[in-house]
Amino acid sequence: MTDRLRIIVAGVALAVCAGATAATGTQAADLAAGEKRYNVNCVNCHGKAGQGMASFPALKGREAAYIAEKLQTYRAREMVGPNSAIMMSLSSDLTDEDIANLAAYIADRFQ
Amino acid sequence: MTMKTSGRTASCVFAMGAAAVMLGTTAMANTNATTMTAEVILTGLQSPWDMALLDDGTMFFTEKCHGLSVRMPTGEVTPLLGMTGTEGYPETADDLFCEGQAGMQGVAIDPNFSENRQIYVYSTSSMTAPGTNRVLRMTVNEDFTGVSDRTDIVEDISYKPEASDQPFGGPGAHNGGRIRFGPEGFLWVTTGDIHGGTVPQSPTELGGKVLRIDTDGNAHPDNAAPEGFDDRIYTYGHRNVQGIAFHPETGAAITAEHGPWHSDEITVLENGGNAGWDPAPNTAGRGDCPSNYCGYEPNQFEGMNRYERAAYMPMTDLESYPDAMVPIWDNNGWSQGTSSAAFLEGSQWGAWEGALVVGIMGIGFGGTPIGQRIDVIELNEDASAVVDVTEMTLPIPSGRFRSVVSGPDGALYVAQDAGTIHKLMP
Repeated sequence: MTDRLRIIVAGVALAVCAGATAATGTQAADLAAGEKRYNVNCVNCHGKAGQGMASFPALKGREAAYIAEKLQTYRAREMVGPNSAIMMSLSSDLTDEDIANLAAYIADRFQ
Repeated sequence: MTMKTSGRTASCVFAMGAAAVMLGTTAMANTNATTMTAEVILTGLQSPWDMALLDDGTMFFTEKCHGLSVRMPTGEVTPLLGMTGTEGYPETADDLFCEGQAGMQGVAIDPNFSENRQIYVYSTSSMTAPGTNRVLRMTVNEDFTGVSDRTDIVEDISYKPEASDQPFGGPGAHNGGRIRFGPEGFLWVTTGDIHGGTVPQSPTELGGKVLRIDTDGNAHPDNAAPEGFDDRIYTYGHRNVQGIAFHPETGAAITAEHGPWHSDEITVLENGGNAGWDPAPNTAGRGDCPSNYCGYEPNQFEGMNRYERAAYMPMTDLESYPDAMVPIWDNNGWSQGTSSAAFLEGSQWGAWEGALVVGIMGIGFGGTPIGQRIDVIELNEDASAVVDVTEMTLPIPSGRFRSVVSGPDGALYVAQDAGTIHKLMP
C-alpha cells in the first residue's frame, strides 16, 4: 500500500470516526482516531513514545493546545522551523478534527 | 565511576518462525530470512549513532547528544566521555555539543587496539568558532572505565552553524560523520556538504568529502585528489555520506549517501574522484537559489516527480563532470535516508555472505515510500556493479536504521534512531 493510499484510508477511517463523534453530539477528541493518525503521519520521525529522534523533536510533555496550534500553523503553510517542509506536507490534508484528535492523543499518551 | 546498567540492557530474543515472508525468487532469496533471530543488545538510548566492536564482543557506541559509552561482553554498560550538559559520565568534554543532525557520531577502533588501546570518535565541537567537526583519538584505560589522552587528529571538518532557507535547514545539517578503518589500516572519514553551495567542490573545505588519513591525522601519501586540494581528501563532490564499507575481496571503499529528495547512492570510490554533486548557485543552468544552495531545487518544499528533480539537480552531474564516479545503485531514484553500510561476513550468511547491507531511515516525504529497512545488495565479483537487491526480512520492527556493523561473531549489529541496538543473527 502506498503512503498516499494509507493516508486516504486513514482519512476515511477518521471521517467515519468524526462522523460518529458528531452524531453523538460530543466535542470530545477521539483518542483512537488520533493514535491511528499518529501511526500514519508522525511515528516515523517522532517515535512510538513521542521521544523524538535524530533531528526530529520530542513531543513528550507538550500540551494539546501547543500541538494543535503548531499543526494548524504548518497546515497554513507557515514556516516554523527547519523541518517545516516535512510538516507542511504531512499536515496538508489534516482536518480540524484530525488535528484535535492528534493533539489529544499526543498530550494524553506522551506525558 | 558510575555504572549504568538498569534500563539499558536487555536480552530478549525473537524468533521469526514460520511466519517469515520469503522475498521473491531471485538468487538472493534464501533461507536466512526464515531462521534469522534478533537480540536486543541495548535499548532506551538517545539516538544511538554508531558502534565499533572488539573481538570479544566489547562494543563502543555513541549517542548523538550524550556521548561515548562501552558495553562489555557481560552486558554491563559504562559511560566513558560525555558531551556538554550531560550527567553520569566520568568525564565530560564541554566543547562537544549536538545540534540538529550533528553531534557525536562515528566511532572506530584502532587496528592495533590490543597494543595502543586507541579509539576514534567523530564529533561536533565548539573549540574552533563557529564550530567544526573533529576526529578525536583517545586511549581507553585497562578496565574500560575511562578515556584519556584526547588528541584531535582532524579539527577542521565543515559544520553548519546557522539555519538557512532549506528543508532540514537548521544548524548541524548534512554533517556526514562515519569513520572506519580500511584494510590498509588508514582511517576513512565521511563528511557532508553542510548546505553549503560551493562546499562539495571546494578544494580546501572538508565538507562533502571522504578523507583518508593515518592515525595522527596526516594524509595518506597516495591520496590523489586534484592539484590544489587538501591532501587528506580521497574523494570530493559528495552530498552527505554516512555509510562507508570495504569490499572483503577487492578492498574497494564503497559509500552510501543520502540523496536530495531523490537518488540515494552507493558508489565505489576512485582515488581522487569527484562524486559529481554541485549545488552551487548559477551552475549547470541553474540560477540563484535560496541561501545560495541549489540542492533541493527546483522545488524545495513540495512533493515532485523524482526523475524531474534528478534531471534538474542531479546527485551525480555527469554533464558538468563527465569523469565523475558513476553510482552503482540509486535506490530506484528514491531518497529514503540511506545511511550506513557494511559487508556481511562469514558462511553463516549463506547466499548473503559477502553482500553489502545498507540501513535506510525514510520518513515518507511528498509521496516517497517510507522505506525504513535494511537492503541486502549483491555485487559482482569485482564490486563494480549491483547484481541483485533484496530487502532483508527482519525479525524486528522496522525503524530508522542509522548504523549497521558486522560484528566479530558474524552477527549484524544495527542501531535504530528510536534508541535500540539489535544483534541480528542468520
